[in-house]
Amino acid sequence: MKKKKIGVYICHCGGNISDYVDVEKVRQSVEGEDIVFLAKTTMFACSDTNQKDMVDDIKANNLDGVIVASCSPKLHQLTFRNVSIRADLNKYTYVHANIREQASWAHSDNKMGATEKAIHLVKAAIAKARYADALETNKIKATKAVAVIGAGVAGIKAAIALAEKDTEVILIEKAPEVGGRVAQWGSLFSTDETGRDMMKRLSSELSKYQNITLMTNTEVIENKGSVGNISLKVRTSNDIVTELNVGSVLMATGFDFYTPAEGEFGYATSDKVITLPEFKQMIDTQAGKLMRKGKEVKNIAYIYCVGSRQTDGENTYCSRNCCTSTIHAAVTAKQKFADINNYHFNRGLRTYGKQEILYADSLRSGDIYLQSYEDGLPTVITEGKKTIVKINDILTNGREIEVEADLVVLVTGMVPRSDNNTIGSLFKLPKGRDKFFNEVHMKLRPVETVIDGITIAGACQGPKNIAESVNSALSAATKSYSILSKGELETDPLVATIDPEKCTWCSACESACPFDAILKVEKDGKTIAEINNTVCKGCGMCAPVCDPDAVNLIACSSKEIMSMIDALV
Amino acid sequence: MKYTNDNTILSSPLGVGGLSYDALVIGAGIAGGEAALNLANTGFKVLLVDKELSVGGKMIMLSKVFPTLDCSACITTPKVSEISRHPNITIFTGSEVGEIKKISDHEFTAKVTKHPRYVRVEDCTACQLCEKACPQNVRDQYQFGLIGRKAAFIPFSICSPKAAAIDIDNCTLCGACEKVCPTNCIDFTQEVEVLDLHVKTVVIATGFDMFDAKKLPRYGYGQYKNVITALQMERELAPTRPFNTILRPGDGKVPDKIAYVLCVGSRDASVGNPICSQICCMYSIKQAQLLMGALPMADVTIYYINIRSFGKGFEEFYQQAKGMGVNFVKGKIGRISEKEGGNLLLRYEDINEGKLQEAEHDMVILSTGVLPNTGIDKFFVNETLTLDPFSFVGQSDMLASPAKTSIEGVFVAGTATGPMDIPDSILSAGAASSEAISYLIQQA
Repeated sequence: MKKKKIGVYICHCGGNISDYVDVEKVRQSVEGEDIVFLAKTTMFACSDTNQKDMVDDIKANNLDGVIVASCSPKLHQLTFRNVSIRADLNKYTYVHANIREQASWAHSDNKMGATEKAIHLVKAAIAKARYADALETNKIKATKAVAVIGAGVAGIKAAIALAEKDTEVILIEKAPEVGGRVAQWGSLFSTDETGRDMMKRLSSELSKYQNITLMTNTEVIENKGSVGNISLKVRTSNDIVTELNVGSVLMATGFDFYTPAEGEFGYATSDKVITLPEFKQMIDTQAGKLMRKGKEVKNIAYIYCVGSRQTDGENTYCSRNCCTSTIHAAVTAKQKFADINNYHFNRGLRTYGKQEILYADSLRSGDIYLQSYEDGLPTVITEGKKTIVKINDILTNGREIEVEADLVVLVTGMVPRSDNNTIGSLFKLPKGRDKFFNEVHMKLRPVETVIDGITIAGACQGPKNIAESVNSALSAATKSYSILSKGELETDPLVATIDPEKCTWCSACESACPFDAILKVEKDGKTIAEINNTVCKGCGMCAPVCDPDAVNLIACSSKEIMSMIDALV
Repeated sequence: MKYTNDNTILSSPLGVGGLSYDALVIGAGIAGGEAALNLANTGFKVLLVDKELSVGGKMIMLSKVFPTLDCSACITTPKVSEISRHPNITIFTGSEVGEIKKISDHEFTAKVTKHPRYVRVEDCTACQLCEKACPQNVRDQYQFGLIGRKAAFIPFSICSPKAAAIDIDNCTLCGACEKVCPTNCIDFTQEVEVLDLHVKTVVIATGFDMFDAKKLPRYGYGQYKNVITALQMERELAPTRPFNTILRPGDGKVPDKIAYVLCVGSRDASVGNPICSQICCMYSIKQAQLLMGALPMADVTIYYINIRSFGKGFEEFYQQAKGMGVNFVKGKIGRISEKEGGNLLLRYEDINEGKLQEAEHDMVILSTGVLPNTGIDKFFVNETLTLDPFSFVGQSDMLASPAKTSIEGVFVAGTATGPMDIPDSILSAGAASSEAISYLIQQA
């Protein structure tokens, strides 16, 4: 075999790498390796200029492959595979070495060690490049249909957005009715339309589309296949099971409200203590006088951040939209009922953006704001028939202030749905520290997940208001559509293969496979395992459990891995 | 790559009486870029126009982003590269859109003015010889005035297109750059070009403007050298930082007692901007964390009204900053004065103590707010683009269809509608491109 000629590029990443790793030393250490034809350092390997230089280098020197030593392959493997394509190389000849997350960032306290490790990592990549073969991608037909799970505002908007794009939509809702949380609301901030009317408008729009199938009272019970060809089983409340075939799944399962513990600020122990959603229902359905248990309500105390920003609980996050939601409810109550006094016991108002105007309006209308830090939360005390809320108010220099309240509204935050574990594990969706579903990249890819073809929209990803949920729903719809719009998908050929000679069908691989990609087949009178290429993710779980060593992973063959290990140790 | 003055313009689809595209995206920041990519990835031809010399908007200039502390350049450049190379996207940098007219449903005409760069981008190798030869020094707008640049210059190290430009307003036409250019790509004969476009839909992604801190003379910006803006601090902290360390501009001293003043030009009706800018708390906390890393001995104090760490992972990020030792003081700064030697005296109402206090710092960073980029409504000649009360682009159905504007077929993405952070801009751009794609499909 002709000796390979490869190019190695070592990235400074601004200073992210070169502040800790001596990139020039790395370059010098690898330039003498037999297959290395050229080795360079670069300020930003991912920059346009460097990409152009790489293409020029490959073409001018007839390189057989390139290695970039930079950040995590999650960020840039694709970038540099595309560079290879532009230089007329097969993209699988590209090999990535991660010397940022694995060397410079991990060992910022030890520059020598970080440099040493970076050299080994690049040498391992060179060892792999020796065997990296040209491979062809698999093309699969994609089903141009999307299952949208959850028919709240996010799910309905996503369904409409997809239907407008000539895509079949199956909208699956667990509840008997569509509309989700928003359909329960009366007055909304920033519009004259009530939540009910808004959802009525959207549902009637929904019903105009022939290509949307709505399934209420329905739950997903099984998920098989992968992007482009996902087969779901759904079950209705009267136990009818249907099988659906879609190309992508858009999760819009929403959130739950935090339920305070018994006794938390008097919840469930005092008649006068209710939650924000209960209060919103109350002001929406009552007229004339605001009454609670037969008594007129005048003084209302709102206690913020109940179940959010906890210092001793699990919910350390801010629930984002409760400040605005509460002030809007308070202002609405004041406009609708006579002689209402609003007292806001808060931990610093977060009426971000234009919502600030609402806060300013409420201050002008005479609402009283009392504030504490996390270590001085207000207390709710019952004295006979009186309910008193007490706080050491930092806005008046820590003075103890008491309010006798006719009603205490606990501003309960958004929490992940209690059934997230069931539906989440069905789709193998990762969750963040906050237990909401996690996106693949917090900044730039907020609706995509690590599972190809599964997008997340609305408050199942984290607390959001209505407009933010809709933005995320339409984004997710765009991404799901974009995957399927061509009707065909390319999948990586990096899958497992079975050597039929060696395989004895012990079924160990079948039980190890998390993707149900192993099939039991009869071939030439012998029972063996076979890999379903469209489902196999190349994760390698089957390889170590195979006793006769019949499993080989394309691009991660034993030959490649062993030579990498030799270079590393 | 397809840029101003590039010959690929000639091969672009020619419509009746001019260039024609499915979508015109105005503004090539992170929102415009995302919208353009979504449209292009679903098969539509996009013209992406930006008035700056590079795509990437404000994000490409940032140091790291909150709360992930990802290096901003590292995550922006691949996106920029994807945009620049996409076969369905044509980019005009250094260009401005004017006179958009709605002819009929799904048909707009627009004029685009391409300002001459005086450099043939396709021939420029960004060798920087012209920069070295140029005798004219000017303040560098891409480093927010922290340092100088030449009149012949590469905008910044990771700009796209990576090519020189001549700042003609500051050029003396001495010809020094022309003489040294090895590829003869400098061309003073380039003229302003006005192109007529036909497009089917328009996405406005014109971004935001920052509050001009000089409008609050009591903080001394522009007068006291050691008072800088947070955007300037972004540059000091960026991997491609101008000084390669953190220093105060007055005398080059490495600061050890740094103050952040929040809500400069936000939540302040007296300067005409009553709303909250939504990002300043978080970018200040991020910078404070980065400063603690860069200058482990420095004290960093953040003077705030309310900390608004409301997004995913933000509250935890705020708590992390507290844990690292960033000092948070609740109180709005009233006035800043300069002491001999360049230190600064901050006068404020300390809410916790309930009294007026003074504190001395050796460097002050003003966390300036987000303002609308005005003038976009003037582009539309026969339709009215409605603005909101704060002069951001109005949303005609704000809750149910946030990307729709008062003109059918014109959509809005990112901070053109109001303050928002990067993920919200991406989501908003996703919504705008979704609406635009639906609009285009329904016409077909």
